[in-house]
Amino acid sequence: MLLTYARLGSWRWVLLGLTLLVTLYLLLPIVFIVALSFGSSQWMIFPPPGWTLRWYEALAEDPRWLETALTSLEVGVLVAALSVALGLAAAFALVRGRFRGRQVLRLVFLTPMVLPVVIFAVAVYGFYLRLGLNGTLLGFVLAHTVLAFPFAVLTISNALAQFDPSIEDAAILCGASPLAAKWRVTLPNIRLGLISAAIFSFLISWDEVVVAIFMGSPTLQTLPVHIWGMLRQDLSPAVAAASSILVGITLVLMLVAALLTRKSKA
Amino acid sequence: MTDPFLHVDELRMAYGHVTAVDHVSIEIPKGEFLTFLGPSGSGKSTTLYAIAGLLEPTGGDIRLEGRSILKTPPHRRNMGMVFQRYTLFPHLTVAENVAFPLRVRGCPGAEVDAKVKAMLALVRLEKFADRLPAKLSGGQQQRVALARALAYDPPVLLMDEPLSALDKKLREEIQVEIRRIHRETGVTILYVTHDQEEALRLSDRIALFNAGRIEQIGTCADLYARPDSHFVAAFIGDSNFLSGTIESVEGPMASVVLPDGSRRRGTLGRGAKAGPGMTAELMVRPRRIVVADEGLAVRIDDCTFLGDDLVIQAECHWGQELWFRAPLALAGQFTPGTIARVNWAEEDALVFPTHTVQV
Repeated sequence: MLLTYARLGSWRWVLLGLTLLVTLYLLLPIVFIVALSFGSSQWMIFPPPGWTLRWYEALAEDPRWLETALTSLEVGVLVAALSVALGLAAAFALVRGRFRGRQVLRLVFLTPMVLPVVIFAVAVYGFYLRLGLNGTLLGFVLAHTVLAFPFAVLTISNALAQFDPSIEDAAILCGASPLAAKWRVTLPNIRLGLISAAIFSFLISWDEVVVAIFMGSPTLQTLPVHIWGMLRQDLSPAVAAASSILVGITLVLMLVAALLTRKSKA
Repeated sequence: MTDPFLHVDELRMAYGHVTAVDHVSIEIPKGEFLTFLGPSGSGKSTTLYAIAGLLEPTGGDIRLEGRSILKTPPHRRNMGMVFQRYTLFPHLTVAENVAFPLRVRGCPGAEVDAKVKAMLALVRLEKFADRLPAKLSGGQQQRVALARALAYDPPVLLMDEPLSALDKKLREEIQVEIRRIHRETGVTILYVTHDQEEALRLSDRIALFNAGRIEQIGTCADLYARPDSHFVAAFIGDSNFLSGTIESVEGPMASVVLPDGSRRRGTLGRGAKAGPGMTAELMVRPRRIVVADEGLAVRIDDCTFLGDDLVIQAECHWGQELWFRAPLALAGQFTPGTIARVNWAEEDALVFPTHTVQV
């Protein structure tokens, strides 16, 4: 018989407790960070002796925070656009293509997902030294796109595989050119997949720190790298404030992605 | 001789070693309702897809009003098509779906609106104009697909088993609709199905496909009354086959000796090459078999009451089975195990030599 929740008897309290513990373990650090960012103690004492917004003011006063955040945003948006465009092309090849080596190609596309990031970062750093791309916007975008691409390929392939190609054929028979049929019929119907892919790609770039540390220059730095630098210099609650904002943005984007996937299943 | 409206000329489609369509030729006059009937894998859908332009032929030609359309890409062929699967655009409403082919052709808005209205009236779905396809039943979706395929007045409407996903009752309802729409619009329709009943119900003519070739093409009555081959006789309508050996051939008639030594005459299948000594199948429709004083002795296996008449399963003494119908009044005669004599008129028997010369 299947082990269902209803059959567990008193074990269900154990299960409940375990779930609670895991949830707390996952959530508490975030709660602490957010609480500390509003705490008045400079040494991040918990529980905070009083409440203040001055760490957020400190963020606003130091232009480096806004600068690096804008850099991260710029890189993230470009990465999202590029990885969705490439992911869409790759998904068409993988889902619709009937050529030899398709499965191999699929694995190749997914390797950045399993390759240790540090190894990838070192490789990219060495490669970029020759090309002079380290510390440039293009360098950041290309490197992060490699990391985001597998997720875009997976998400868009799934969406495309669920879309009956006969519908595209119908559009063509109706008089739409093959390209127009894809643009006017196929893309609107896999849009949720495209949006999810864009959000995930953005998030991957948005909180990527390893590659960004290798590639960063004094003039071009992403927000996670700046946070990391600040942490090493002095442990100011401003870092907690910046982290809280990051958590907030990520949470909103994840929520949007989750809502979209739910809507697509409904 | 003028070229027919639509001419499929020696069409051939091969994939590697598999020949899906093998030198198929069909001439279709304007306004005809022609059905491609055949078992799955017989090449009927492949032929349809080649006419649509979604598959490329290996050889042969397809001409519309005398001009080859092979070089025309599918989106410029102006063919209407209704697919087996539901292919309405899920993100567009019913009205927008029907408007789609007109919009991609750059028709002015007022014209589009008028046409959409007319088309939805044609398939009687005016009330559903603003619904999304997901909110429609399967039958309604296929009717919208029909409206969409007819919106741009295509010269030919292609239908690839459009009703196979629907239940029987709904299928029959929509068949009536399709007949009516064919009458009202006069559009030439090529309809693919594996359901002989559907083919008989809808078509002016039927092209019966088998293994990539057309076995026979003709009116429904033709195919039923004068099948060219064993395959056609078996596929269209009910049939009994008795094997024997050809004794003699005189013109269109052949005399066959059955295993019990009795002689039976029948009309040879058209184009069949036959000679004495050849093995052959003698075909008789169950409706043409009558119980008589003289004739073939059979042992009754089973007798089923089926409304208007009885259906009787019987066996020849050499083991071959046959079945026939009999009036209810005779019910008492068919106790399983009894021997009955059955007979049929000479003109109701057809002879198909088993060793037909393969081309």
